Order: sequence, then C-alpha cells, then structure tokens
Amino acid sequence: MPTTLTINGEQRVSSGGPMTPLIDVLRDEFFLTGAKAVCREGFCGACTVHIDGQPAVSCLVPIGTVGDREIRTVESLETAGKLSPLQQTMEEHDVVQCGMCFPGILMVLTGFLSEHPRAGRDEIKAALAGNICRCTGYERLVDAAAELARRG
Amino acid sequence: MPAPGDERLFMAGTLAEALAALADRGSEGAALAGGTWIMRAPIRRESSAQFHVGIGRIPELNAIDVAADRIRIGACVTHSQLVAGLVGIASCNGLVTAAGSAANPAIRSMATVGGNLSACDFPAADLPPALLCLDAEVEVGVNGGGMQRLPIERFLATRKNLEPGTLVTGITISRQPVLTGHARLPLRKAGDYPVAIVSISATIGRDGLVEDARIAVGSVESSARRWPQLEQRLKGLALDGHKAGTLAEAELGVFTGRDAVEAPGWYRVQVLPALVRRAVQAALSSHS
Repeated sequence: MPTTLTINGEQRVSSGGPMTPLIDVLRDEFFLTGAKAVCREGFCGACTVHIDGQPAVSCLVPIGTVGDREIRTVESLETAGKLSPLQQTMEEHDVVQCGMCFPGILMVLTGFLSEHPRAGRDEIKAALAGNICRCTGYERLVDAAAELARRG
Repeated sequence: MPAPGDERLFMAGTLAEALAALADRGSEGAALAGGTWIMRAPIRRESSAQFHVGIGRIPELNAIDVAADRIRIGACVTHSQLVAGLVGIASCNGLVTAAGSAANPAIRSMATVGGNLSACDFPAADLPPALLCLDAEVEVGVNGGGMQRLPIERFLATRKNLEPGTLVTGITISRQPVLTGHARLPLRKAGDYPVAIVSISATIGRDGLVEDARIAVGSVESSARRWPQLEQRLKGLALDGHKAGTLAEAELGVFTGRDAVEAPGWYRVQVLPALVRRAVQAALSSHS
C-alpha cells in the first residue's frame, strides 16, 4: 500500500512498505541523497533529518509512522539559491571534508541552534554527541557553530 | 525474519485497538513505539516480527502525570520528554540523569520508556537501574484482561516470557523523600553504551544517617539488578561517596561481568566502586 509523505513541503508517494526506513525512501525513491545511510543503528547521525522540526535519525524511522508529519531534509536548508546562515558559516570556516557526516551535522545544529541560539562550545559538543565524523573535523565544526552563536 | 517490504504495520489510534491487534497477531506481532531497537534488527541480523502495531499515537501512552503522591509515565514517553517532565523533582534526579545521558540527543528524542524496558537483550539500558531504585511498577495490559501492575524487579525477571499480546502501557513511581543519583561509564564521553551503570536512592533519617538504600547495577550482567549486600552495609552510616565506594570493593564478588566486544566482564565489575562513589556524590549534590 503506498504511503504519502510530506517532504520539504511537498506531498510525495512512496511505494515502499510501511516498515521501510525513511532514509531508503529519501535516497532511493526521491533521490534526496543529502542524508547518508551509514551505520543504520542511530550511532553516527549521518542520516539525520527533521520530523516536525525535531532532528531524527531517518535510518530508524519506518515510513508508516510519519505519514502525517512534516519531514525536512538537508536539501531544504538552502532557500531561493541562498545558503542558510549555518551553511554560510560552515563554508566560511572551510569545514566540509569528505561530506559523509556533514548533512546530518547541519540538520542537528540547525535544530539545536534554533532552540539555543547563544549556545557555547560545550553545549554544541554535547549536541553533536550523536554525529560521528571519520575525518575528525570536529574542531572546525564547533568553531563555526560557536561563531554563529556568538553572532546571534 | 520477514523479507524486506513484507512487514506489516497497523497504527493504532487507541489503547483498545492496539491490544486487540496484538492479541489478534499473537506471537507474530510486536508493538512499535520509537523504533530505535526494532528498526536496527536487520543490520544486526536479529529476528523481527512479521506484524507491528504502532502505539506512538495513543494519547494516554504519551502522557506524564505528576501527582502529589505518585508519578505515572506513559510507555511512549521519550527519554527527552521524560527529562523535560521530571527535571526539578528531587527524587527523580537519578532517573532524569539516566534518561538525559542515554545514547545521543536524536535517539533520546525517539526512544521510549516502554521500548527501553521491553528490549530484553539490552543490558546497557540506563532506565532499568534508575527505576529499580525508585521501586517503580510497570503497567502491562492484554486484550480483555485489564491492566496489571508488576514490581519492576518482577517485570525484568519475567519480561522474556510474557504472554503474547502483552503490552507495556506505562510505569508508576511512588513519590518518596529520597536522594537519588545515577552514574555511568561510557567508553567515549557521550553517545556510547555504558560499560557499567550504578543508580542509588537513599532515605536519610533525622539523625542524618541512611535509613534505607536502594542500589542497582546495569550493563555489568545481562539485566540490571539490585545490589542488596551493599544496600545493607550502607544502612546506619552517613551517606558518603568515598565510604560507599570502599564498601563496594568488598562486595564485588556477587557480580559476574559479561564479556562483550567493548569491554571484558572483569573490567565492568572493577569499575563499580568508582561508579558507586560518583552515584552517591550525585545524590548528595542534588540534595544540596
């Protein structure tokens, strides 16, 4: 039975079964390949999206449970060709390395900084406890997020 | 294990619908709440039910009710909601620490209390030891059978053998004037499963000495359990972290640590005195 999902403000219909992980539908059916399927256990955070505004690891979300909820992926952060303030700051700090973890980190920090716009480094680090960067680029990530928080 | 795409899901709107659907499917069915345990079954090559009953939309399973004498927590309350709902309640300090430090932020916003208690093969779960120290009762229901409250020790001991169709609907905690603390040792600073966990609750008498104590250990053995030998030794003493840690060293023989890839069993047991000290200090600092 098809499942209708609301993704980045658009209604999309998936032919996947209700227990299909959201990450697979995003990537394989809708070609929204920003979120990455890496650990599939909720440890690495590379598949993080927003569901009703809250960061969630999409590898552990069955699509049958989110038909009435609003899903946002990293592709939605840029609007009208303009990067979000967080994306811009990350670019200024030359943060991106291999890019595998980065979309998930953007989604976590977008949610976190909207609730804690003046967060300090320790709070930012705690917020990123579920995001693993194999390039170990944490310091520049935290520098950039802290800079954005300082600017308010 | 069902083939990918063959699984079925029914999203229940009411508790009665959920219990009826679970009864209908018997041993082939399972409840689905946050999904953080069930959804990783394929990558871990673990078996999964053919039919799931989604319980996340049932209002009474998502509520926290704080009354003067007791607190009821619905089974679908997430770890994050638990923290938000109970922070500032002195007797819940240990439980709030347990819920607020488990896993990572995204998992805490998805994983539920009922799911955590129902994951039988999850020795490193943070909530069971904290709830053991609060003498929590676990509410379970079956279709047409009404609700039953089980002491958490009994629930943990029997949860693998519950009748098919049985659903954890919530937990209840009596509010007592106790100091509580929770200490855990993950291999990384955060975001990891703890090697060992110690929770404590203590009733302090007018003379300033421990009248009663509950100490529970998680992640060391296959399931969390109380540590009655150490509880007895603390009674009648002033609550002190270093003293409690020293007493714990003499009582380690009651544990047989489980070997796993992240830590050998002996290590899990060896770190317990330090965790006892930290849990006691956390309980005392919550009081001050």
